[in-house]
Amino acid sequence: MAENNDAREAVGEYKAGWHDPENSTIRFDFGLSEEVVREISNLKNEPEWMTEIRVRAFKHFMKRPMPTWGNMSMLEEIDFDNICYFLRSSDSTKNDWDDVPDDIRNTFERLGIPEAEQKWLSGVTAQYESETVYHSIREDLEKQGVIFLDMDSGLREHPEIVKKWFCSVVPFADNKFSALNTAVWSGGSFIYVPEGVHVEMPVQAYFRINAKNMGQFERTLIIADKGSSIHYVEGCTAPTYSTDSLHSAVVELIALPGSHIRYSTIQNWSSNVYNLVTKRGIAHEKAKIEWVDGNIGSKLTMKYPSVILKGEGSHAEVISVAYSGEGQHQDAGAKIHHLASNTTSKILSKSISKNGGRGSYRGMVTVSPKADNCKLNVVCDALILDEGSRSDTYPTMEVANSTARCEHEASVSKVSDEQLFYLMSRGHSEEESLAMIVNGFFEPFTRELPMEYAVELNQLMALEMEGSIG
Amino acid sequence: MDSASRYISLGKPNRADHLWRYTSWKKVHPTGDIAEMPPLGQPELSLGMMDGSEPPSGIRLEQGIEGDLDFSMDNALTNAFLHASAKSSQWTLVVDKGFAPGKPIILEIRPGDSPSVAHISLDIGEISEIELVTKITGRSEWFGLLRTGQIRNGAIMNDVVLGLQEKGTLLRSDAIAIGRDAQVRAGTVSSGSERTKADLRYIMGDPGGNIRVLGSILSADSMHLDHHIEIHHEAPETFSRLSWHSACGGSSRTIGTGMLTIRKGSKGADAAQIFHNLLLSESAKADSIPELEVMENDVVGCGHGTANGPIDEDQMFYLKARGFDEDSAKSSLIAAFLNSTLSEMGGTELHEWLVSELSLKLEALDT
Repeated sequence: MAENNDAREAVGEYKAGWHDPENSTIRFDFGLSEEVVREISNLKNEPEWMTEIRVRAFKHFMKRPMPTWGNMSMLEEIDFDNICYFLRSSDSTKNDWDDVPDDIRNTFERLGIPEAEQKWLSGVTAQYESETVYHSIREDLEKQGVIFLDMDSGLREHPEIVKKWFCSVVPFADNKFSALNTAVWSGGSFIYVPEGVHVEMPVQAYFRINAKNMGQFERTLIIADKGSSIHYVEGCTAPTYSTDSLHSAVVELIALPGSHIRYSTIQNWSSNVYNLVTKRGIAHEKAKIEWVDGNIGSKLTMKYPSVILKGEGSHAEVISVAYSGEGQHQDAGAKIHHLASNTTSKILSKSISKNGGRGSYRGMVTVSPKADNCKLNVVCDALILDEGSRSDTYPTMEVANSTARCEHEASVSKVSDEQLFYLMSRGHSEEESLAMIVNGFFEPFTRELPMEYAVELNQLMALEMEGSIG
Repeated sequence: MDSASRYISLGKPNRADHLWRYTSWKKVHPTGDIAEMPPLGQPELSLGMMDGSEPPSGIRLEQGIEGDLDFSMDNALTNAFLHASAKSSQWTLVVDKGFAPGKPIILEIRPGDSPSVAHISLDIGEISEIELVTKITGRSEWFGLLRTGQIRNGAIMNDVVLGLQEKGTLLRSDAIAIGRDAQVRAGTVSSGSERTKADLRYIMGDPGGNIRVLGSILSADSMHLDHHIEIHHEAPETFSRLSWHSACGGSSRTIGTGMLTIRKGSKGADAAQIFHNLLLSESAKADSIPELEVMENDVVGCGHGTANGPIDEDQMFYLKARGFDEDSAKSSLIAAFLNSTLSEMGGTELHEWLVSELSLKLEALDT
């Protein structure tokens, strides 16, 4: 129990479930229309081409039906007319925490962001509701030409780069929620790493929804030029309300020849947030894209980080974990498309279902006819901890090249009695033993995270395991 | 509602549903006009032993089927269509309680030259022991086969369907209930028809049911063979294994989709499925979707896997070093690959017979 008490102190109940009074400077009425879309673009003084893309995306969103797969009953509950599509809480993005409005700064201090920045990050961006409120990057990186901005500033300061790559990986018509994001996007990160530059320490973005019935639609674009590398970490939380919020982001990664992008996410939204996200990267020759994806919170998550292996010799990895508790459905997975020869990929998915939660792995791997000598490996493991919980696996493998070597394996099981007995015979309580086994189950994921995140995730999981026994 | 009205009421199936994703209903409908229910002929059916002699008493085909069909699953469209179309070709294969002939029995279906359809309901008696091969031959442009019914408590059955049509489309749907402590091996050997859409479902609603579903699929030329297999564990201590081997040559395409469900309350269920695809030519294609839905935590295990690849170069080298030429080494390895599931489908006698039936197809394979 001692370990769990430590976890309780460190994490509390859903520790990010509090909310601050809403002090918005601009708040749109609920509901979505072409006028809302144009007004968002107008407020941001965007170029005409961006307004046009937004409007076209809006029209596509309106006519595109809801997906006919996944948790359709939960999706049908989303009331698009009862969501605020834009809320500005601060006049401008600050680069000194002291200039951030007190209530918002307090929020991020409680989440430990300024402290983390000092200790182990190359740069930080903090988004509160629709827009970024704080942003900084280490000077030495800036001098090397690394651009790390919020997406709105990126569009203002580097329109030619944004225009070239925006919607190039995730077209607005890709799916209903990518259309919604393109229509009303606000905030997110814009990163460009010049040729040959290696950003040694991670950069971090932190997303916070504070208001009720809020929609957060950040847009992130990361371009790693030839031979460069970057590790981007994002975290997300929201207050616990009785009504639902919607988070629908789009992330586009472009890994140019020989570059390496690692994108780590710890999604810990409160259990009233729909998390419907499109994440996709394109890897050029000998480039590498890694998605490290942790899904702990939210009501319904539908997220399938994807990589298009376009260049010969490119590589993709997706490591994901999902925890589904009461009333939660984590519908997560990965998609990898091998379009070029000698490409390799690896997917490792781990999920735990408890207290009636449902965890689903939904994945797709394709090998095109022209992609010779590809190798891919998919492993999905699931633990169901109690009665009434559920685990699903929906993998698709389409192989159109006879030289491809493809493997997929999945297993669903309970915590083995032998493992529990072994740990308990060495003096641990049943609850402690279970928490250790669960942390061990997630270990392939946590070892890929920066230390601070890994520790917090272990504490969170220990807390979630409380009361599992008996 | 009768089956014909039910079919009409169900409308066009959704292509987004993976059941219809790779082979649309329009492509396997006899005329392609899905609003139509064309008149279809009756195939010839005969029961016999491998040597051509009459089967012993204890097994027989009776005209007509009893009881209502279950239309609660998403195979309702196919089953309603086949059931309604087979109005004058409905049969019950009755195996008496305790019947154990000791030798395989062949149910031969000859669809003839024109499109035809049959509905066969299995009524496999308690504690019987039987090996049954349903062999489909002929040159029909279209043949539909619906198999329903039950394998009753304690029965032991090796149930092999051998598709050897020379051309045309085969639409097959199985929906078979497995009784308490029944032990079933359900084999599919497919190397005929230009296009196959098979929907095979096994429901274990009683404790102790045990099934091994096995597939040996050989596709060549421009064949399109789509098999969907569902195994439903709805009772405690049920056991299933699905092992599906497809060898794809020419510009053919094989599709294997599986759905394994463990319903709440199926404590002690043990289930696994695996799809293996051997790609033999540059333009062959293989798709696999092994799905799992587990709603019970107290399971022995539940897993699935899929593996795709070309013929192993090391194995080729081994055989060539021992005097095999390129072609014979390759066909030996293909035969071995298919044989790993074929050999599980029944006893020695049945296995040898299946190998002889398949060998001609294998020789003709253009890799």
